[in-house]
Amino acid sequence: MSRWTHPAVALAAVALVVSACGSAASPAPATQAPVTSPPVGGSTASPAPSMDTTPVTITVWDYYGEATPVKPALDGFQKEYPWITVKYEALDWDSMNEKFAVGVAAGAAPDVATLDMTWIPTLASNGVLEDLSTISGGMLNGAPIAEQYNPGADEAMKFDGTYVTMLFDFDAYALYYRADLFEKKGIAVPTTWDELRAAAKQLAEDTNGDGKPDTYLYQVWPDTFHYAQFLFQNGGGILTADATAAAFNSPEGVSALEFNTSFIDDGSGVYWGPDQGDQMAGFKDGTLAMFQNGPYMMGVLKSGAPEMAGMWKVATAPYSKQPGSYLGGTGLGIPVAAAHKDAAWLFVSYMLRPEQQVGVFTLAGAAPATTATLESPELTMADPYFGGDAPFGIFLEAMKTATHFPYVRSWAEIQTPTMDDAVAAVLLGQSSAKHALDAAAQETNTLLKK
Amino acid sequence: MTLARFRRQSIGYALIAPAGLAVVVFLIIPILLSAYWSFTDYNGVKPPTWVGLDNYASLLGSPRFQRSIGNTVAFVLMGMGLGPPLGLATALLLNRAMRFRGLFRVAFFLPVMTSLVVVATIWKMLYNENGLINEILRLFALPGHNWLSDPNTALPAIVVASVWQGFGFETVVFLAALGGIPRDYYDAARVDGAGRWAQFRHVTLPGLRPTILFIYIIGIIGSFQVFDQIFVMTQGGPVNATRTMVFDLYDKFNSLHLGEASAVAYILFVILATLSWIQFRFFGERD
Repeated sequence: MSRWTHPAVALAAVALVVSACGSAASPAPATQAPVTSPPVGGSTASPAPSMDTTPVTITVWDYYGEATPVKPALDGFQKEYPWITVKYEALDWDSMNEKFAVGVAAGAAPDVATLDMTWIPTLASNGVLEDLSTISGGMLNGAPIAEQYNPGADEAMKFDGTYVTMLFDFDAYALYYRADLFEKKGIAVPTTWDELRAAAKQLAEDTNGDGKPDTYLYQVWPDTFHYAQFLFQNGGGILTADATAAAFNSPEGVSALEFNTSFIDDGSGVYWGPDQGDQMAGFKDGTLAMFQNGPYMMGVLKSGAPEMAGMWKVATAPYSKQPGSYLGGTGLGIPVAAAHKDAAWLFVSYMLRPEQQVGVFTLAGAAPATTATLESPELTMADPYFGGDAPFGIFLEAMKTATHFPYVRSWAEIQTPTMDDAVAAVLLGQSSAKHALDAAAQETNTLLKK
Repeated sequence: MTLARFRRQSIGYALIAPAGLAVVVFLIIPILLSAYWSFTDYNGVKPPTWVGLDNYASLLGSPRFQRSIGNTVAFVLMGMGLGPPLGLATALLLNRAMRFRGLFRVAFFLPVMTSLVVVATIWKMLYNENGLINEILRLFALPGHNWLSDPNTALPAIVVASVWQGFGFETVVFLAALGGIPRDYYDAARVDGAGRWAQFRHVTLPGLRPTILFIYIIGIIGSFQVFDQIFVMTQGGPVNATRTMVFDLYDKFNSLHLGEASAVAYILFVILATLSWIQFRFFGERD
C-alpha cells in the first residue's frame, strides 16, 4: 500500500497548484490570425511629420466572434499605417475576461482589446487601463471626444474623470415582441408596466393542459441587468450619489423587483435559468414571445432565426415613472502594460471612424456608439426582418436615458454574486424582495468599504 | 568524497536536473508565491501590499464562502457515498463469468475518458425542462422539474452527473483488485460453510481494503476540487446552491482579487492535507 503514499501526497500538492491556477492558466487565444503586411514605400496616406514610423507590431484581442467588424477593417488600417503590423487574435466573450486578467497579471497583455463595459469598473479601478485622455489629448479623429458621443456614453467611458475606454458599440434595453401574435390577439404594444403585465397575461397559453402557461411567455432573466432596468425606470438607483452605500433597497428598488417577480407569480413569465437552455430554441419553439434586451439581439435573431422574419418587432421599453436602462456595450481599451500605446491609439481611432463603425451594425448586428455613425443610412433604413421598421432608432433613444453601472472597485462582486443572488432568490420564491435587497445592500456596503 | 563518487553523483544530478527544474519552476515557486500572496492585497498589476490574515478572516467570516465550504463538503459526501459503492457493485457483477463482459467494461469506463465539460454539457441537456429526463417523467404522467434552477435539486443533480462520469474508474480499479484476491480464500471460506454474504464480508472486503483506501483518497481530493461541472451547468447558482470552493477561487481570480484567491487555495490545501493525513494515519498503516 505504501506504493500509493507518494503519489497521493504529490496529488495533494498538485491539487494546490491546480486550485491556485484554475482553468485560466493558459492565456493562449482560441485562434490566431496574424495579419502581416510588410511596410511598403509610398503608402496611400502619408503620416503626419511628427509621427513615429518605426515599424511596430501591435496585438489586438477581439471577442466579437465570426461576425466581427474588427477583422475586416485590418486591411484598410495597414494600408494607411504601413509601419504598423496588426497581430489579430480572436477570443470568445466567455473567456476574454479571465484571459485579459491573466494577460495583464503576467505582463502578456495585448495592445488593444474589446472589453465589455461591465468589466471596466474592475479593470479601471485596478489600474489596468491606460489613461486615454493623456494619450489622445482629448481628441479623436480630429474632433473633441466629448462631441462624438452622447453625454451618457461620454460619461461611461471615464473613470475618475479621465477616459479609460472608447465606446465601440453600446447596449441599452428595449422590448422585443412577437408582432404577429400581438396582431392575432389584438394586443396593443405596451408602454407602461401595467400594460406590459396585461400583454404578458394575454399572450401566455397553456398548451399541455397542466394549468400552467408554457407558451408565448415573457422572458425573465435572474440578473442585475434586467433588474436594473426596472430599478432605473422606477426612479431608483444602484448606489447613493456619492457611491458610498447601496441604494437599490429603496422602496423604488423593492417594488421594481416585485414587478419583475410578478411575471413568475402569475405564470406569464418564464424564469430563464440553466434548465431553459439556449434561448434561440425558446424563440423558435414559441416558448418566448416577449423579452427585453439590447440591440445586439437584432443580429442574433436575424442570423439565428432567419425563418422568423416579420414576426418580431422592437418597441421602447415600457416604464413606470421614467424611461431607463443599464448602459453597457463594448469599449476599446489599451492596457497600461501595452508595448506600443501610440500605435494602439491609432488603431482605436481608426476603428471609431464612421466607415468602421457602420460595420458594427452591418456585420455584427450590434449598435455602433459614435454619434456621427448613428445617422448613417445603413442604420436608419427600414428592416424587413422587423416588419419594415427601423428598430435602431428605438435603441438610440434608450441609450440617451440609460445609466452605466457604478464605477467602484468592487462592482464585479456587487453585481455577481451579490445583486444577482438577491434577484434570483426573490424570483425563486426563497425570499421577499425587501428582505433579499436589504441583505444584498448590507453585503454591498461591506464590499464598498474594502 | 572520492573523485569517482563525485563524478557518479554529478551525472545523476545532471540527469534529474531538467525534471528538478520543472518541479521548482512549476510547483515549488508557485506554491511559495501564492502562499505569500494569500497574505497580501494583490491584483496582479500593482505590487502586493501585506494585509496579514485579512484575506483568511474575511473569507471565513463570509456567509457565501461558508456556504461554498458546506456545498463542497456535501458534494464530497454525496459523491463518495454513491460513487465507490456503485463502482464496487458493478465490479462484483462484472467479475462473474458472463457474456459481453468486455463490452460492459468498456461501456462503464467510456465516460471516464470523456471530457468532464462534455459530460456536463450533455447532462445539462438531459436536465433541460424539455430534456430526456423530464420527457420520461411526463411519459409516466409525472410532472417535469427544473432540476438545475431549483436550489434543492441543483447540487444533487450535479452529483448524479459527476458520479455517472466517474464511477467507471472505480469499477476498473476494483475489478483489478478483485482479480488479485486468491481463489483459495474463497474455497476455504466455502469449506467452512460461509455463504455469499459471509464470503463478501470476510474475504472480499478485507482483500479490497488497500484499494478502498486508494479510491477514497483520490476520490476525496478530486471531489473537493469540483469545478468544471458547476461552471458548465449552474455557474454556482441558483443563489449559491452549487457554489463550491474552487468556483469561489475562480470568481476571486476573475475580479482580480489574487490575494483572496490564493487564500482560498490554501484553505483548500489545508483541508485536503488534513484529510489525507487522517486517512493514512488511521487506515493506511496496518499493511
